[in-house]
Amino acid sequence: MAVAQSTRRRAIILLVLTSIILITLDLQNSSATSGLRSVFGVIFRPVESTTRVVTRPISNAWFGIFNYNDVLDENERLREKVAQQEGATVAAAASVRLAQELLALNGLPTLAGINAVTAQVIGDSPTNFSQTIEINQGSESGIRVGMPVLNAAGLVGKITKVYGDRSVVMLITDPDFALSIKVVNSPRQTTTTTIAKSNAAVPSPVVPIEPDASLEGDASTTTTTTTTTTTIAGFTPSVTTLPATPSGVSSITVPLASDLAIRETGVIEGRGPSRQPTVRFISNAVRFGDIQAGVPIVTAGGSRSLSPPDILVGTVSRVVERLGSAGPVLEIEPVADLTNLSFLRVLLYQPITEKATP
Amino acid sequence: MIRFLTIMSSRWTRLVLVMLIVLSLQTTLFAELRPFGVAAQVVLLFVIVSGSINGVAIGSITGLIAGLMYDFILPTPVGLASLAMGLAGATAGLLLYFFHEPTWWMRLITVAIVSILGEIYFPLAQAIVGFDGWLQPRIFKVAIVVAACNLILAPLAIVVCRWTLAERKLSI
Repeated sequence: MAVAQSTRRRAIILLVLTSIILITLDLQNSSATSGLRSVFGVIFRPVESTTRVVTRPISNAWFGIFNYNDVLDENERLREKVAQQEGATVAAAASVRLAQELLALNGLPTLAGINAVTAQVIGDSPTNFSQTIEINQGSESGIRVGMPVLNAAGLVGKITKVYGDRSVVMLITDPDFALSIKVVNSPRQTTTTTIAKSNAAVPSPVVPIEPDASLEGDASTTTTTTTTTTTIAGFTPSVTTLPATPSGVSSITVPLASDLAIRETGVIEGRGPSRQPTVRFISNAVRFGDIQAGVPIVTAGGSRSLSPPDILVGTVSRVVERLGSAGPVLEIEPVADLTNLSFLRVLLYQPITEKATP
Repeated sequence: MIRFLTIMSSRWTRLVLVMLIVLSLQTTLFAELRPFGVAAQVVLLFVIVSGSINGVAIGSITGLIAGLMYDFILPTPVGLASLAMGLAGATAGLLLYFFHEPTWWMRLITVAIVSILGEIYFPLAQAIVGFDGWLQPRIFKVAIVVAACNLILAPLAIVVCRWTLAERKLSI
């Protein structure tokens, strides 16, 4: 009895020490722990696949009992939404194509130029304390750790672990998720100055002047028109230019610099499934103005960022002002529905700093 | 040869094999069925039941082994779940240490209490190694739902655990 107790005590000490050593190694990104995971995966995957097949009828019955009415309601809602968005999609696709052509023309990077792999979600996180999912594509498809993962709506997360034929995606709601982003703020009111010139060789922005201040007998006549339009948060409105009164006079529209969409960078961080991600480190500059709810958040890109620029992440749902010079904290509503993911796109993008030198 | 057969027929070998099946249930069925948005933790249940049946030492060893296997499929650092589960197994054994002959309902209460504690140990362990962010009010909802699920599944787990950890003599 005493021998058995001593053996058990030694076994406990050995196992505890092993766990501590493994934690230390894994926190140092040791290849030994990755190797152990891979070996265990080789043994475990066949068992898991068999269990998945066997338990499928049980989960189907569960969803049939508890989710049937929800699915019916959602189906109805989605049909209505699809009908509403069909027209908007065509216009949006045309705008996206135009924007990509313009970016390509100016030698700027676009998402269209980045290869992508389509993957299917094959598993949720088994624990309640990590926001991850598993997809059915891995290093054999060119996926590497850190690559951004999207669905049709926008950014979903990033790759955190890669195996041969599968990968683990950390969702943007995970507390360990962080990514540099841009907040695209628009001014609440837009004022455009329309200048009509008859004899101007090179158009240039002119400071608005009072309408009755034009001088008679001058060679050039300047007319100023001020237009105020309502702005939809996040979108630069199209400018309506009023034609100049005299026929044959050229019309140039010059938006004021303060009317252009202003961008500030920050960092988005997850806060778990029950709380929305937040954006911090936003500058408190006056130039940036007040951030309104609904303003879009896109990835910042850059040589050190794991994601290319301008992937839609979400919209601002709440602005928490802070005292002093600290900028506001923004709560973000992700555009992607993270509770219902099935097919995803992994962008095979690596920043220049991550690419291996030949 | 006899030594090999002894090892293969030992309860620890049986534990590893049974844990493979329990883990596969955890990653498939119980990862999908989420009552109130919470995944039931059958690996934790198995560890707690082993502690409540066999005492502190066996509960700890079962927890450390089961946790280590769980670690290999979790994205968190390897070894973290092992320590948390080992502690949960030991706690289950400790709670019943004070009763001379624990009845079935004492075991069930132990399962419920240690399920709550065990579900809190893991985010605590995560916070200790720097993965904070999970210690938030949601943890109480998660712990209560996990405890309720474990209470329902406990009778089945007790049967499986008794069979797995029973000591049998090899007769050739």
